[in-house]
Amino acid sequence: MAPAAPRLIDRGDLLAALDRAATRKVTIISAPAGSGKTSLLRAWAGRPGQPGRLAVLQVQRDQQDAQQFWLALLDAVRQATGADSGAEPPAATPDFNAPAMADRVLSELADAHGGITLVIDDLHELTSPEALAQLTRLLTNLPPQVHAMLTTRHDVGLRLHQLRLAGDLAEIRAADLRFSERETRELLDASGIELSDAGAALLHQRTEGWAAGLRLATISLAGHPDPERFVAEFSGSDRTVAEYLIAEMLERQPPDVQDLLLRTSLLDRVNGELADLLTGRPGSERILLDLQDANAFVESLDPERTWFRYHHLFGDLLRLELRRTLPEEVPALHRRAAGWFTLQGQVVEAIRHTQAAGDWPEAARLLADHSFSLTLDGQAQTIQALVRAFPPGTDHPELALVRAMGDLAQGRLDQAAAHLAVAETHAETAPPDRQRRLRVAIASLQLSLARRRGHLAGVIEQVRFLASPVTGQSDEDIALDSDLRAVALMNLGTAEAWSLGLPDAERHLREGAVLAREIGRPYLEVGCLAQLGFASIFHGAAMPNIQPFAMTQARCREAIALAERHGWGAEPVIAPALMTLAGTMVFLGEFDEGERWLRRTERALQTDTGPDIRLLLHQTAGILHAGRGRRHEALEELGAAEDLGSQLEGPQALASQVTGWLLATQARLGMTGEARAAIAALDDERASSGEIRNARAVICLAEGDPAGALGAVADVLDGTAPVLGYVTVVEAHLLAGLAHRELGDQRAASQAAERALALAESDRLILPFAMTGSAGLLEALPRHQTAHAALLADILDVLHGSSPAAKEQSSSPPAEELSPGELRVLRYLPTNLSRPEIAGELSVSPNTVNAHVRSIYAKLQVRDRSSAVRRARELRLLAAGRTR
Amino acid sequence: MRFHLPALNHGGMDPAPARYVIRINGHLGATVLSAFPALAPQHHGAHTVLTGLLDQSGLYGVLAEIEALGLDLLELRKFTPDRESPETGHHRSP
Repeated sequence: MAPAAPRLIDRGDLLAALDRAATRKVTIISAPAGSGKTSLLRAWAGRPGQPGRLAVLQVQRDQQDAQQFWLALLDAVRQATGADSGAEPPAATPDFNAPAMADRVLSELADAHGGITLVIDDLHELTSPEALAQLTRLLTNLPPQVHAMLTTRHDVGLRLHQLRLAGDLAEIRAADLRFSERETRELLDASGIELSDAGAALLHQRTEGWAAGLRLATISLAGHPDPERFVAEFSGSDRTVAEYLIAEMLERQPPDVQDLLLRTSLLDRVNGELADLLTGRPGSERILLDLQDANAFVESLDPERTWFRYHHLFGDLLRLELRRTLPEEVPALHRRAAGWFTLQGQVVEAIRHTQAAGDWPEAARLLADHSFSLTLDGQAQTIQALVRAFPPGTDHPELALVRAMGDLAQGRLDQAAAHLAVAETHAETAPPDRQRRLRVAIASLQLSLARRRGHLAGVIEQVRFLASPVTGQSDEDIALDSDLRAVALMNLGTAEAWSLGLPDAERHLREGAVLAREIGRPYLEVGCLAQLGFASIFHGAAMPNIQPFAMTQARCREAIALAERHGWGAEPVIAPALMTLAGTMVFLGEFDEGERWLRRTERALQTDTGPDIRLLLHQTAGILHAGRGRRHEALEELGAAEDLGSQLEGPQALASQVTGWLLATQARLGMTGEARAAIAALDDERASSGEIRNARAVICLAEGDPAGALGAVADVLDGTAPVLGYVTVVEAHLLAGLAHRELGDQRAASQAAERALALAESDRLILPFAMTGSAGLLEALPRHQTAHAALLADILDVLHGSSPAAKEQSSSPPAEELSPGELRVLRYLPTNLSRPEIAGELSVSPNTVNAHVRSIYAKLQVRDRSSAVRRARELRLLAAGRTR
Repeated sequence: MRFHLPALNHGGMDPAPARYVIRINGHLGATVLSAFPALAPQHHGAHTVLTGLLDQSGLYGVLAEIEALGLDLLELRKFTPDRESPETGHHRSP
């Protein structure tokens, strides 16, 4: 909240009412403009001895961007709790997850010690339904020591009936805010205005105790030669209170002040430099400071008193007066303001003023030029609000580019393609200097689209512009080029990883990450590193001797750690790393840990509906079920993955794996006919892959044809069939072992099992043993004959834990899930670090660590650190840290 | 001006503009009236009556302006042809 203006009178009754209200969870102050809502809150908050801390958020005018609102709220809370001193500030992302953000604010509030009051001023300005929905959730789930106070001009769409029913909601309305006659008298006295009791009564009657009216009147009355006459004339006038008094007040100002107020009224906020520019005169800052000191509806927005704003009602009336008296100047003033904001790099304000000036084509051009950087800055919803502000029916082809960007972010790929087609047609007719820019932007979007559709040829086609060096004419061009290059590298590397798993994928993603760091785009850096985690499963798969899974996990954790530092631990951008980590856990037989990471991936993908990433989600869930012996569930998930795969255009790296597992699962469930028919429909290339050969072997085994199974896997075992990784070879050995067993050749069966164990040893790979149902095969392996007894024991533990007989037990609800923050703290508990030392390691406050530790104890149902560690070991919660 | 309300005529509401009568406390001066260019003002006693053709989103825009300017809204009525002219001012005058 801005520094409080000197208070004229102490409205004791009202403050007492607010004190009473503050004993409930939520207080809403709902009253029309000028009722004194904000002044009341300031007076209440600024009283000496006010307990607890204040987190204050002033909602921006016409706030349609949920992310901007929530970031500002989080920032206010962190300032109040002191959490902003250590860790990095919250950062915006191109893809915003509102529920996760609300959770984050809740956890910051829960971590705060002592009482805290959350103040949200001008809530009626928030028009994002998404933001309001999550705010409802926040308000109904406030931690016990937190109270919220909201001011609004009208009742907003918060569904707080639960709170109302529980008696947790207090409301203060217009009638409560009206000045009494006694208070009116006190206000006049405090302002040094000499007025008869009759005059004071008349003034009170005329303004009906309306705070803004009384305040305006006192400004005009102060120093008025004949206060009685002023009140009599005011009282005799039929004009509305605000209009009459503002006209009076303006008239009493010197001409340069009047001029400044009028000309700057079209700004949401103003500083001296900008006011000088709009008035064409120096000295504006002094005037603004004087106006604020005179309590004249001007308030500063920062402690240094450089930025000011006008009281909304006052500003709105001034703006009308400006349009009425100087209509021909209004567009030029907006243009001047737009120019200033452009120079300051405040693009959104610049676009708003360009729109207000009526320069629609120019506004469309500005928006198209900056939509990339604005999207990367996390202002996607602001961009869409700016698009909506264009008059309907007018055609601005440049906006097609902006619309395509919004579609892509939401996974609406067909709409994105349609808008891109419009943009391309437009680019053909654009002037040459502009054409290059448009083409680069279109190419980059086409690249994103092709990537998300798994269309590799399309990607390669679009990345030619990467070959040309950065050659912009202006700084802006160079910045745009760098942004586009980094985005393009991320998309290219991703497409390569998804489509064929080329080593180029790693190179491009690394280049992208480096460039992103250089140009200060952490979002892109996180995106590249997350995809790099995913890409490394291919690279490492061919080389089991260097522990590819451990390397993959390390990369994923690195990407996740960076994402968390920016507060993006639950955003779509990090989903590939979360998912890959979940997948590797499943491969290593850590099913519970894998499931936890998978849940977190699901949460991160709430806002993204693209088929590519959903495919991975279903596939990972499928192998998790398969590993646990839940074949029906596995079949469902793998089937969903297969369906999504068919929506992608190009070849995908994982396709034969998904199909192979799907068919094998069908066969194991006795659906051999369906599986065979599906194999018959595959093209030769797919059908000859190692993964499909393995599936064929599973079908043969299910049909009682072990010799056929041995024939199917022969090419996999001798290395002639192409495989996605050594996992496929391990599977093939196990299937061969099962076939030998059926044929009664125990020696060959044991040899096959031993080969599978040897391959699996370096990573301690477990999943293939579970999926192929190899428990019997392994148990028949004489212990003295194996060089991998320890791994064998581990595998058998997992297999028996996930056998159908144990299914009931493993599906019982796990202990309440620990949050990522709690897990991070948990992993330090086995060390001899003290809590403050852990806080230091994690760059968080000791209070946060204390809160996490309390919560860990509660969730694990333990009382001390050593039993927490014991319980965490039982639940395998510490396992994720072992590869670090 | 700055309100971008969702289109309101999707829910089966009549999309055609209708004549609305809006009664506000006090005499609106030229400044405030300039916020309602689509409406014709008349003073009735101590009130101002604004009338004009508005569709639903135009109407909500006018209501938002009334709120933003802190005006005291006394009455809002959709004028239907079977009723007498509202401009005669024979109804409720508080």
